[in-house]
Amino acid sequence: MLAYRSTCPGHEDRSSLMQLQRSSRNKPTILAERRRRPRLIYYFKVGWKEPTAIIGALMVVLFAYLVIVPIVTLLHDAVEVQFGDARRAKSEVGTWTFYYLYRTLASPIAQILFWEPLIHTLSVATGVILISLSIGVPLAWLLSRSDMYGRRWFATALIVPYMLPSWTFALAWRTLFRNRTVGGQQGWLESLGFTPPDWLAFGQVPITIILALHYAPFVILLFGNALRSFDSQLEESARILGASSGTVAWQIIFPLMLPALLSAIILIFAKCLGEFGVNYLLGLPVDYNVLATSLYRSISSRQSGVAAVLAGAIMLIGIISLLIDARLVRESRRFVTVGGKGATSRISPLGMYRMPASVFAALIFLVSVGLPLLVLVLSTVMRIPADFSIENFTLDYWIGQNLETVALRTGILLTPDLWSAAWNTLRIVGLASLCSGLLGLMVGYVVVRSRVRWISSFLRHVTFFPYLVPGIAFAVAYLSLFAVQRGPIPALYGTGLILILALTADQMPYSSRAGISAMMQLGKDPEEAAQITGAGWLRRMLSVVIPIQKGALVTGTLLPFISGIKGLSLFVVLAVPSTDVLTTYSLRLIDSNYTQAANAVVLIIAAMAYFGTLAVQNITKTNLAEGLGG
Amino acid sequence: MPTISLSRVTKSYDDIVPAVSDLDLEIGHGEFMCLLGPSGCGKSTTLRVIAGLENLTEGEIRIGGRVLDSSEQGIFVPPEKRGAGLVFQSYALWPHLTVERNVSFGLRLRKIPTVERKQRVAFVMETLGIAQFRNRYPSQLSGGQQQRVALARMLVVEPNVLLLDEPLSNLDAKLRLKMRAELKRIHAEFGTTIVFVTHDQWEAMTLSTRIAVMNEGSLQQVGSPDEIYNSPSNLFVAEFVGNPPINIIPVIDDDGEELSLIMREFVDRTFNKNGKIGSVGIRPEAIQLSANNPSGNFRCLASQAKVSGILPTGGSWIVELDIAGSPLFVSMIEPPEFDSGELAYFQVDQTGLHLFNLDGKRVAC
Repeated sequence: MLAYRSTCPGHEDRSSLMQLQRSSRNKPTILAERRRRPRLIYYFKVGWKEPTAIIGALMVVLFAYLVIVPIVTLLHDAVEVQFGDARRAKSEVGTWTFYYLYRTLASPIAQILFWEPLIHTLSVATGVILISLSIGVPLAWLLSRSDMYGRRWFATALIVPYMLPSWTFALAWRTLFRNRTVGGQQGWLESLGFTPPDWLAFGQVPITIILALHYAPFVILLFGNALRSFDSQLEESARILGASSGTVAWQIIFPLMLPALLSAIILIFAKCLGEFGVNYLLGLPVDYNVLATSLYRSISSRQSGVAAVLAGAIMLIGIISLLIDARLVRESRRFVTVGGKGATSRISPLGMYRMPASVFAALIFLVSVGLPLLVLVLSTVMRIPADFSIENFTLDYWIGQNLETVALRTGILLTPDLWSAAWNTLRIVGLASLCSGLLGLMVGYVVVRSRVRWISSFLRHVTFFPYLVPGIAFAVAYLSLFAVQRGPIPALYGTGLILILALTADQMPYSSRAGISAMMQLGKDPEEAAQITGAGWLRRMLSVVIPIQKGALVTGTLLPFISGIKGLSLFVVLAVPSTDVLTTYSLRLIDSNYTQAANAVVLIIAAMAYFGTLAVQNITKTNLAEGLGG
Repeated sequence: MPTISLSRVTKSYDDIVPAVSDLDLEIGHGEFMCLLGPSGCGKSTTLRVIAGLENLTEGEIRIGGRVLDSSEQGIFVPPEKRGAGLVFQSYALWPHLTVERNVSFGLRLRKIPTVERKQRVAFVMETLGIAQFRNRYPSQLSGGQQQRVALARMLVVEPNVLLLDEPLSNLDAKLRLKMRAELKRIHAEFGTTIVFVTHDQWEAMTLSTRIAVMNEGSLQQVGSPDEIYNSPSNLFVAEFVGNPPINIIPVIDDDGEELSLIMREFVDRTFNKNGKIGSVGIRPEAIQLSANNPSGNFRCLASQAKVSGILPTGGSWIVELDIAGSPLFVSMIEPPEFDSGELAYFQVDQTGLHLFNLDGKRVAC
């Protein structure tokens, strides 16, 4: 450690040290007099004998800027008078104030700004957790421990909702249940003569159902993994001692599964906290606000101080819940270490329930994947909703020309905006994913190779931090940092660069973890072997480290790419029409009530995300389940 | 002139206890030097320090007269410029390169002309018997073959010293024996100076020209295998080397055990060291055991003891004697003429005794 603290002289110092070293070789008498100096040179040479230290230092600066500075700026914005608020805050712009905290948390409109959305967020999250557990737990058990029909097929099929953007299902819901509260095309039920009441068409009920179906795969994956690694012998020993199956379930299986279950609950909670798209599509028409949409509204109405407070609150809740999760995971390790050899898990025959169980799984698949996608597809090829006569079907919304509409007079595939949005998606998300993949590998390299312990632990933590911050709050942090020129960095709002930066930082948790584990697995030996044979740092990187880590690099790039394609909450804050990506483009189409076009765009996104995920699974021979869970 | 010289070498990590402390060692040209010791004794650290993968905290390292690492003089030569070779315990073959590319890597770096490079690679691979695998990838090779590739990769660049870090520990017993012979042949053929790290005393005995025994970061003894075995400089070396292990009989602080009493009486009578001896070591094979009372000899320690166990090991027998509660192990190459539970006579010639003082240091007889 000491060695590195004393090896940070400036550039001039370095050259003078070199000179000194040269002269000291020639004159051993000086050497004796200045014993301290050679020692400095020595530490310097050892410390910088490879560029790991330099790269490490650069990475520390980079991530401090990409992660810590935006968040600090955001928090600072919450307590500083913003432009235009001087009169209301009764203070000069740029001075300290409690005005925003007061306004958001205690003023007469605090109810609408914060408390009501908070209660909505919490009640939606509770509902989502309850429903997804009651669907996910039985399915997880059926998939991992029973002889249900089509187990393998269901194991993939039931995860599909998680591969698709959550608001795909919100759009499908709107297509089916939309009523006269909002304008535009009728919902299917409405046109069949039944007007869905507001509580069914919009607000808490549909939001909860849709998010529950979307996050049930979480439970299936986490709980299923825990069940699979659960040693049947534990169960069997209890049976042999005379316990009934009920007692076994309650006293042996349940306590051991509890950590996995709690982990799933908290992850779902954290995800619900940052969920924007579904709430926007189904909550806003009836003024049902959650924290994320309230945050979005305060940004749209230029209340950046209030937005900062809200984002801070979301961040705080997110951090607390994930810290609890980290705690639980540590607790659960305690259980895991007890296990001896490889766990054996046995399949329970379902007997007469085999068929009903399979039907249950099929039903869930139908409701959570089949029906919504079918509705969306049909909605893009039908002129009048819910009219199934042949002449009502058309491909106009996809490839039509000279349509009789006010704007958007061609099918969506012929609209230049779609292609520019698609190109933006590829460009922005692709570049950001490439950056985060490369940076992830570099972080892994530095974390594993750096001899300076605080650098590795700092990098490890700072790159994981965005995971704790819901995307929309993170986006607001970037907005407040890059909205104006700060020092040498110009205002980036409105450029593609801000999206790339934010997305890169947002994806670092995944890519850095991939990078660290890949480098850990590789170990130091292959690189040191190259070093011994005489390879310098660059040569070792190019001929040994990067070629070996090719696979990890591909994964570290593709996974963020897929999650980036379907991401919405980050873009909705930071994108402007010229930097529209597919997700924000479809949102703009919805806002202008081009339902079919919007549905078509969302289908394109869903297809990209789905096939992308399959491709990654095939390339890397991994299971999606392993990438989850944290 | 020694090829490698370590003087006052100390390496400490963040801990207070240094991994290696104050190590002085000279390794001559063409030697096969073994660093022997239990795990965690600092032998691998010593190797890594020679290779330059770790820097020194104190001291100096020279190879062929050239200072490579000295914090006092401010000199540190990075590993890639030291011209040493290191075979890792894990072999560390590059999984993305074929066997031939693995072997030729170092020569390519040195920009050796293609013709010469091919010759040298072919020669080394031929010598090590891996020529037929040249187009395979490391994952398609067995452990022993990987081992040879790792060796070939380092030998081909003609290193000034070849460092081997427990290279045989990942091989099964049969293969290990074969590779041991192979290593000895390679050493003879290439004439390279070899520094070999192992915790296996057998390996050290059979392979090396000299052995350096280490414990807890410091050097215990340096000498030929013969010296290490026959005149261990302290109790640690005596106990670490030899299988079955040496019998150590305390003659001070003995709680009045009978064996200790007999031994003290004999040592006092024979060596006249009055009270300076702390313990006595007897190698199991230095003890003669018979069913009948042998003709007594003044210069021999002889007594009767109960046989508490006979452990056949195939070609030889290990006999456990019970002398009033304390065990004494004897190894025999003749089948014992008695059974477990019977009485037997043992005798030890005084030349078979190793004397250690109160600090555990060897005392000359």
